[in-house]
Amino acid sequence: MEDRLVDAENIVKSMDEDINLKRVEELIKDNRISFNHKDKEYRVRLLNLSEKEELDLLRRRKFGQLMKDKDIFLEKDLITQYKERGINIDELDDQIKKINAEELDLQIKLGESISKNENETILQTYKDQIIELRTHKQVINSQKTLLLEFSMENSLLNYVAQIITYLSLEEEVEGKWQRMFKSLEAFQIYEDSELINKAGSYSMLLQYI
Amino acid sequence: MNIYSLLRELAKSVRAQNLFVAAKEVNGVYLFHNKVDFSKLQEIYLSQLYNYDSINRDIVLDNISKHVTDNEIYTDAYLIYKRKSIKKTIKDNKKSDVNLVVGKKISFPTKKV
Repeated sequence: MEDRLVDAENIVKSMDEDINLKRVEELIKDNRISFNHKDKEYRVRLLNLSEKEELDLLRRRKFGQLMKDKDIFLEKDLITQYKERGINIDELDDQIKKINAEELDLQIKLGESISKNENETILQTYKDQIIELRTHKQVINSQKTLLLEFSMENSLLNYVAQIITYLSLEEEVEGKWQRMFKSLEAFQIYEDSELINKAGSYSMLLQYI
Repeated sequence: MNIYSLLRELAKSVRAQNLFVAAKEVNGVYLFHNKVDFSKLQEIYLSQLYNYDSINRDIVLDNISKHVTDNEIYTDAYLIYKRKSIKKTIKDNKKSDVNLVVGKKISFPTKKV
């Protein structure tokens, strides 16, 4: 399962390259996304009410398991542990807050210049400053994400994303759509991780987690 | 270009904006096949359609810079500024309403018989 998560980023990158305006139009035409994988048609769709209940049940069950697991820490406990080792995540948060405030200030100035129809050179200067701040913020955010990668909250989010994929992935069999996995176990041992990652990325475009 | 940027590109296109206006004004014109249960992508697209619709009106009516739709940074900055200005206007109006209530006696014109 971990390997699937490691590969997910690469899949999303390659998907971004494959997607163009025409494909985007297709993605939004309804609340389902069909795609082809190894010459077979698949689709993901929004969960129905009973599937949402199943998701909720599995999420709560996983939460209970994670709470009992002594090797997994809550984000706040992880932050305390890092602090003892000299890594201060609160400082990273403060830096992000400061950058956000600076960015907002620049955005308001830029917005005002646009509304006053000012010279494009002025707009460009603000834009460059905003890009610089965002690049800096991205570096700090990546640092923070890496440090908190193994937090309980993150594990639970990844698990929920997997369950949504498990519940929403359908395959076309003799012209009819049917759920691809009859059980969570079958999903977890499924070998084609490329298909699972593709379906996972698409299902995340359909619903919020 | 990532999918969310492409979604914005689509939302600001003339074709999408025309369809959006038609869907608002003409009965029986729909943007999506589904009429309920919108996906996350559809919700984001809808909000971008509204954003670009309001910006296009501001370009014509308020004479704001046409560069506003050149890139996402300009568009977002303008929308943030606009929201902030609207909030400020509402706040100022509320203040003046209170003064009006507490303040002077208002004489209404009387009808001559």
